[in-house]
Amino acid sequence: MNAKRLVAILVAVCLLGAGLTAAWAIDLGDILKVGGVLFLVNQYDDQIDSFITSALGEREAAVQGATKVVPIISLGGGGYVGAAQVVGNPENVERVKVVVQVEGRFGSGRAQILVPTTTDKVSGNPDRAKGVGVSAVIEFRI
Amino acid sequence: MSRRLRVPIAMALGLLLALAAAAAFSSANVSFRSAERDGKRVAEVLIGERPVIVLRTSAAGYSPLERAEIVASRLRAATEKEVQAADVDVGPVQSGYGVYVRDQLIVAAYEPEADAQGATTEALADQWRDNIILGLGYELPAEGEAPATEEQADGADAESSAGQQSTGQATSEDAATAAAAQAASADWTGQAQKWVPILSLEQEGVRVGMAQIAGPTAKVEQVKAVYQLRLDFRNVGRVYAYIPVSTISTKIDRVQGVSVWALADIKVLGF
Repeated sequence: MNAKRLVAILVAVCLLGAGLTAAWAIDLGDILKVGGVLFLVNQYDDQIDSFITSALGEREAAVQGATKVVPIISLGGGGYVGAAQVVGNPENVERVKVVVQVEGRFGSGRAQILVPTTTDKVSGNPDRAKGVGVSAVIEFRI
Repeated sequence: MSRRLRVPIAMALGLLLALAAAAAFSSANVSFRSAERDGKRVAEVLIGERPVIVLRTSAAGYSPLERAEIVASRLRAATEKEVQAADVDVGPVQSGYGVYVRDQLIVAAYEPEADAQGATTEALADQWRDNIILGLGYELPAEGEAPATEEQADGADAESSAGQQSTGQATSEDAATAAAAQAASADWTGQAQKWVPILSLEQEGVRVGMAQIAGPTAKVEQVKAVYQLRLDFRNVGRVYAYIPVSTISTKIDRVQGVSVWALADIKVLGF
């Protein structure tokens, strides 16, 4: 009886330990992925900007105005992080630090809100940058 | 399969009809037109049948008619919500006076225009404000000047002489440049908004819905729909772009200066 109980406790501890390890691994992986993507976006923002502009230009849909690539964080749709091209007049575009996207899915429908913001603190309600729009997005799933 | 499609298609059609009805209802009574006064071409902005603003001069490369279109768009957008007489006011702008509805600049009176109409910039802005109040169906405040007659409402034509007009039209272009700068600034900071249909072409199928767009009033007015091009790579990532367009066709006719703020759509066709 005691031996059976001991085995059960050991199995439970092992499973719990394995679960915690897996959870920790996922969190660490996500953190690394988010950090890596944000780092790459900041490092290669000009190249990404040129790529998006030329890709849209080939379809005669290029934007006219100042453009810049900033990180985008998407919440509520599974979690994505990547790069967003923002467009507007130069002084406003220059102030944009990040784009926050909030998504929701309901059956076959979905809703999205895009908020270019001048603060890089993701807390509370993001303050929408005036005179700036999001033209294109490249994102990776977290 | 067809039953599954029926509900989303009906919902999409319902959304589009509601949008069309809302657009038709909200923009019914503000318009603009070209007219002739004293043998000269002018542009008028009307509320209902009543001309409330008459523009005689070009500014910053915009003809009187183009200016009237912009002013009408602003006025239409500002009056989508209920406007009280007290919401319509005059305030100083760079090199002149502007008429505001709440905080939205509707029209600015600069020296060339005021000279063309034989008035000061402040008096002209006051006149336009009173005309808008009357056009909205309100009485003028008791302490204000007497309500404008129909002739006065048309832009103080009676007072303007040919000599005054030519003097006004010949005044410096600095004011016109300032007007453009002011207008551009006002447009970008006080963005007009509108809901338009969105059509999304994706790997998985076609989605339709509505998108909230924002930008300069005149540009927002041009937008008829938003196209979304989207590629989803399951569990890896996604790439997408929003393109506001002025015509719904296979040729992409992008409207510049307009951005997408929000959208909601549903899948209507699967590949």
